[in-house]
Amino acid sequence: MTAPSTGAPPGTGRRLLGLLTPRPYGWPTPVATAVGVVVALALSSALITLTGGSPSASVQALFQGSMADWTAWSSTLLYAAPLLLVAVGACVSARSGSFNIGQEGQVLIGALAAAWVGLRLAINGPVLIVIMLLAAALAAGAWAGLSSLMHRLRGVNVVVSTMLMTFVAQQVVAYAVNMPWLLQESRVGNAPVSPQSNPLPPSGLLGSFGEYPGLQINGGLILAVAAAVVIAVAITRTPWGFRLTMLGRNPLAAKHAGVRVNALGGAALAISGALAGLAGAVLLASPVGVNRLQPGMAMNIGWDGLLVALVARNRPLAAMPVALLFGVLRSGGGFLAATGVPSFLVDVVKALLVLAFVAPPVVVALARRRRSGGRTAGARQEAAPVAEEAIA
Amino acid sequence: MTTVDERARELTPPSTPALRLRGISKRYGPVVAADNVDLDVNRGEIHGLLGENGAGKSTLMKILLGLVQRDSGTIMRGDTPVDVHDPQDAVALGIGMVHQHFSLIDALTVWENVILGDTGRIDRAAACRQVEEVSRRYGLPIDPTARVERLSAGERQRVELIKCLRRDPSVLILDEPTSVLTQAESAELFTVLRHVVRAENRAVILISHKLAEITAATDQVTVLRKGKVVFHSATSETTPPELARQMVGRDVSLRAEGAALGMLPVDGPVPSGEPPAEPPPETPAESAAASSDAAPATTGTAPALRLRDLTVVIDGVTVLSDLSLDVAPGEIVGLYGVEGNGQSTLGDLLSGLILPSSGAVELAGRPVELERPGALHRAGLGIIPEDRHSSGVVLDMSVAENLVMKSIGDVSGRGFVSRRKMHAVARRLAAEFNIVAPSLDAPVRSLSGGNQQRVVLARELSAGPGVLVAAQPTHGLDVGAIEDMYRRLRDAASGGVAVLLISTELEEVMALASRIAVICSGRITGVLPAAEATAERLGMLVGGVAA
Repeated sequence: MTAPSTGAPPGTGRRLLGLLTPRPYGWPTPVATAVGVVVALALSSALITLTGGSPSASVQALFQGSMADWTAWSSTLLYAAPLLLVAVGACVSARSGSFNIGQEGQVLIGALAAAWVGLRLAINGPVLIVIMLLAAALAAGAWAGLSSLMHRLRGVNVVVSTMLMTFVAQQVVAYAVNMPWLLQESRVGNAPVSPQSNPLPPSGLLGSFGEYPGLQINGGLILAVAAAVVIAVAITRTPWGFRLTMLGRNPLAAKHAGVRVNALGGAALAISGALAGLAGAVLLASPVGVNRLQPGMAMNIGWDGLLVALVARNRPLAAMPVALLFGVLRSGGGFLAATGVPSFLVDVVKALLVLAFVAPPVVVALARRRRSGGRTAGARQEAAPVAEEAIA
Repeated sequence: MTTVDERARELTPPSTPALRLRGISKRYGPVVAADNVDLDVNRGEIHGLLGENGAGKSTLMKILLGLVQRDSGTIMRGDTPVDVHDPQDAVALGIGMVHQHFSLIDALTVWENVILGDTGRIDRAAACRQVEEVSRRYGLPIDPTARVERLSAGERQRVELIKCLRRDPSVLILDEPTSVLTQAESAELFTVLRHVVRAENRAVILISHKLAEITAATDQVTVLRKGKVVFHSATSETTPPELARQMVGRDVSLRAEGAALGMLPVDGPVPSGEPPAEPPPETPAESAAASSDAAPATTGTAPALRLRDLTVVIDGVTVLSDLSLDVAPGEIVGLYGVEGNGQSTLGDLLSGLILPSSGAVELAGRPVELERPGALHRAGLGIIPEDRHSSGVVLDMSVAENLVMKSIGDVSGRGFVSRRKMHAVARRLAAEFNIVAPSLDAPVRSLSGGNQQRVVLARELSAGPGVLVAAQPTHGLDVGAIEDMYRRLRDAASGGVAVLLISTELEEVMALASRIAVICSGRITGVLPAAEATAERLGMLVGGVAA
């Protein structure tokens, strides 16, 4: 078919992350995905039964906690918003080929910045929340940008540095809420002080449309959906997105075509960090938590958001329903404990579902390769994506 | 040089074959890589193996090392036929090889690399002692505890040699050993090899395409061409021109055919009366002479492409050295040479992927700011890169997207890419360049090699370049696609585009170019009008000897 390609495909290092690079050209995989989901659900039921629970009661509980009434829906949407923000950011960096996996830390840095600005300024009026969101985006964007800088100056692997920076971020936030001069809550009388900040002033909270017990739609969700739409348009329709995609799929060709590889890759990383930072601000300022900066407030939203992007195959619009599904699992997961099923099983179910969505393309590609067989050029062409996905 | 030859002559008579190959053949599909090869390698001798790319040198050595299984023929050690099924057999037979591309692990130290692959307990002290002992015996100074990543190319090669020599091989094979070495390092290497054959009566096979090296260092020489032994002689009884002719050995008719096809431009600024450069070999004057050859400065008009004293140093190795070359509008200049002499570095440089350490690229008389992304493209240089998959196309993007890749701004309006405009451009180019694709939205990955190459060519020519660089443009293409490519390159030239054809295929260069520049070890060793390019002269230049 084609000339034998010499050696490894271009940008092998980056393409180890092939699974996270979008590949929109017709996977004949919906069937395989459906089968995967069924298998995942069957396995989940089996696990629940094994641990002494009842699958039907578990589904009931999940439903009760996430979708049964407006209150449950409101809680689901509160979780979905930061998940979606993180996922949209992950789409941007993955598309550019610099794989940011440090969202958990960037979420914290965003929350830290928002809390600091919100508590220090404490002005009235809606301008405060806007400033908080901007501060969160800037701080977390810069935080992620550090990894790009490290890569450029010393060749530090972006995947490794973004991830390790998460642990630094956790320490930074823990430090901030333990230092009275920084963000630790004020002492009231002789009451012990906890490692957390003061509650935000009302002007620093994200408002909601609708009221309990009706459906509440928080400003964070609107922000997240808007971000998803804007990013989706930007990466699929603009010259900037075109260059970003080119960079992600073949950095050498991108450089050859005159793309400012370092600047664009760094910007993608910073944008993904900024969106994760926004997620942190949303966690802080929306009624999903206690509106105080706490070291544990990221609640794995950063990691789960990454999974959302993984399942959505780095398409921001596809990330919307996936984020909703993950929100369902989160808000329903709390209810599950009541049925006697260990709530960590929700994480197992989540993992199985991720596999159900992620595995089919690999399986299909492997099957296709086996079918074509032989050492033809065609097989070699096919081999590249398969290898990438097998590693991812 | 003559002294070496004299010494060699003293040594030759009492030689006995350490290794004999009889009728070795190997085919890869329709390609005959080794055709009934006979070769005797004597103890106490350095045996030169000379040939162009694809002459079958590597295949033959891989067969000896058990990396490739021969189809037929016998390998004999002394008079007993032996079998070499895998590299372990080769080691047992006492065959050791230093490959052209080092197989060292950068992060490990010298002694660790040397004992890599040994079994049993690791004894650091003993390993270091052994390294030191071997290094003393052969005059290969090296610190056993140094990390390989800190070593120069010459030092790395010493490590490779020590790896080989400590196993006491009776036959030592070196594949293009000087390609990464400086002149001084090469000289040292040959001193060591002399010692290995003289004092220890081992046999050495030296694979090279450099004539000077072969004549200076070897006792016997065998020339391979297209898998066949075409020539064999004692080195002292042959001459570089003879070897050059045997190595390249093409029909002169090719040139006539080229002329007949009418590619030789009639009015181009071809320096016809150009005297061939004849400086003594291995002097710095050589490249200077070559660059003055290359400059048709007398014509007054600025050349479309001028490479000026380009030097590229990668990891301490000078890959391109003061390379200068001019290409005039409407002219096809062929840059011919054996693979690995700096061509791909030049291609990368002209693709904007690397920057030169010094020197300049001028387009239409203006120097290009190479550090600015896309500057070469904007200045009117189109390029068909050597490896289209690595920088020519994005395999997972569509045909249309690949076609507008460098001009995405032209198909965008008000901040958005216009699919309509993009498809219009793509449709036009696909029709014009006969790109056969399932659809314009199909990924380039799904196209045949010839069509992928047409995508690259269409994109590069659509920008209306003043210069087109084609690096190995027909590599891996079928005959039809090759003809198509040739036609389009000629059309481009007759349309006034300056074409620089970088190729390792002599036929290709002869068929297309009106002037031929020869590159060896990163330097232009000479520029000849195609009409004066005889096999002998090209062979000498390719071998690093000015013709």
